[in-house]
Amino acid sequence: MTAVTVATPSLAPSTGVRRVFRQLRRDPTGMLGATICTVFLVTAALAPLLAPNAAQGRGATDVGARELAPGWAHLFGTDHLGRDLLSRVLLGSRPALGSAAAVVALAVLIGVPIGLVAGFRGGLLGEALMRVTDLFLSFPPLLLAMVIAALLGPTLLHAAIALAISWWPWYARLTRSVTQSLRREPFIDAARVFGVREPVILIRHVLRNAATPILVQATIDGGTVILAIGSLSFLGLGAQPPTPDWGLMVADGRTTVLTEWWIATFPGLAIFVVALGLNLLGDALRDILDPRSGR
Amino acid sequence: MTLLSIDNLAVDFVRDGQVVSHALRGIDLSLDDGSALGVVGETGCGKTLTGLSTLRMLPPGARATGRVTFDGRDVLTLPEAELRNLRGKEISMVFQSPGTSFNPVFTIGSQLEQVARRHLGLRGAAKRDVVVETLRKVELPDPERTMRFYPHELSGGMLQRAMIAMAILCRPRLLIADEPTTALDVSIAEQILRLLRSLQQEYGFAVFFISHDLDLVGDFCDRIAVLYAGRVVETGTARELLERPRHPYTKALLEALPRHAQPGAMLPAVPGNVPTGLDDPVGCSFAERCPLAVADCTARRPLLAPIEERRSVACFRWEET
Repeated sequence: MTAVTVATPSLAPSTGVRRVFRQLRRDPTGMLGATICTVFLVTAALAPLLAPNAAQGRGATDVGARELAPGWAHLFGTDHLGRDLLSRVLLGSRPALGSAAAVVALAVLIGVPIGLVAGFRGGLLGEALMRVTDLFLSFPPLLLAMVIAALLGPTLLHAAIALAISWWPWYARLTRSVTQSLRREPFIDAARVFGVREPVILIRHVLRNAATPILVQATIDGGTVILAIGSLSFLGLGAQPPTPDWGLMVADGRTTVLTEWWIATFPGLAIFVVALGLNLLGDALRDILDPRSGR
Repeated sequence: MTLLSIDNLAVDFVRDGQVVSHALRGIDLSLDDGSALGVVGETGCGKTLTGLSTLRMLPPGARATGRVTFDGRDVLTLPEAELRNLRGKEISMVFQSPGTSFNPVFTIGSQLEQVARRHLGLRGAAKRDVVVETLRKVELPDPERTMRFYPHELSGGMLQRAMIAMAILCRPRLLIADEPTTALDVSIAEQILRLLRSLQQEYGFAVFFISHDLDLVGDFCDRIAVLYAGRVVETGTARELLERPRHPYTKALLEALPRHAQPGAMLPAVPGNVPTGLDDPVGCSFAERCPLAVADCTARRPLLAPIEERRSVACFRWEET
């Protein structure tokens, strides 16, 4: 028999999660994003322990210590009701991250299956699903939030529901466009040739390949949703006092931003930094999670 | 024994209730157990579609009539569940472009394991062993390690070997090879063909070999069928057909092979164009390009008829070819 020589690839086989971490370490902005996100997650988890005054963080007032400038006693200063702003900002990470995660999760859960079916099946069903999607897309989120707040009362939960309702169509569209291009891939036909059932093809082959852009979008959207929740709370359509909500705190400090600048600035900074972190992480994940980007 | 027989298979493409193309216009082919049939023809003549019909893998909008009988079962009317058990197990396929035929997000090993689980019902170590063993059969180095690679980490030749491994994993009785070497360079193509032949000898599966390369098909196959515009124009044993082509189209194809060219001279080409999918000439589809055409050729269509044992031609003037 003739010897057959086949070149062996020089690179080692790569394994999922470890590869992501390895590549993340080589990407400074991605690393920054990941660090910011980790810090905020840890903060949210341990907020009551980290906060110098957890009770004030939750709303207890101390009118004797009103509007104190940042100093050693109160690193971020105090607000109009004498509450320690550092504690408020730390505890505020909980409703912010929690509601953002809920909104994105809900949007993904509704939008992805719809986009998947619309893109894979196409035809009349696909058209119908996408027209319904367009219908939801045409609701202005702010207006919808106001309507819901007016009907059901302004709470953080209602604001989150309003956002999810106007957010899922983006996931339906994204998933559909990815699915449509995947549907024609030879490996999908190859799966059929090997006797794989349609639902299995849809989940194992299509969804698995669409997962990367969806995950990236969800990460970036996390930041956008935090901004949106902040805006709704700022307008009084979301969380209500005394919830330690960043948007609400910015609204609270708005009138005195020239004199007591710290009241609006620190919660505003928190929103800015966490949104930035999620964006940077999302961008880095986009590059890393594509298995073809290699190395 | 006949393993696969295709009788009067026609495939039309329909859009909005209208036929937009007659892709196959009545194909008759048969393939014996363990033999290799080469199906040749130019782009668009229906080679691949014939192969896919064997698995009932019809593209959207395609409508098939006729019969495709595999081992006594009519593939075109088989219930969906039985069809899925046939696909990849009794009939499997090797594709033209190995690079895009694997799912990019799974390792080679896991994709082969999925097939082993689906068709052989294997789990755990048994499943893994079958995959490793099959990867070794296709002469991939270090199968345990190769299994852990993603498709983009392997070369085209290695991927095609892995593809072949996936195709023979369940010991199929029929392997459809759709231009398995077109995307590979010449030396690798040679290796892949040698591999396919030795596997065929070892396992005894039949091969439905689709190609546009007459030499390659002549080398690999026992019998050859030449397709033109959705019909079989000539069949015969590989040697017979290549040495004494009886259809003017086959002859023209053979003359156009570069190895027959005189140095410095232009390569001979077949004049004219292939009829479009909607043309439906009364006579022979090849008549207007044929050097031997007479009035009769455009008046009525020559049917594929046996001229010798196991040799058929669809031409009125085959004796003069």
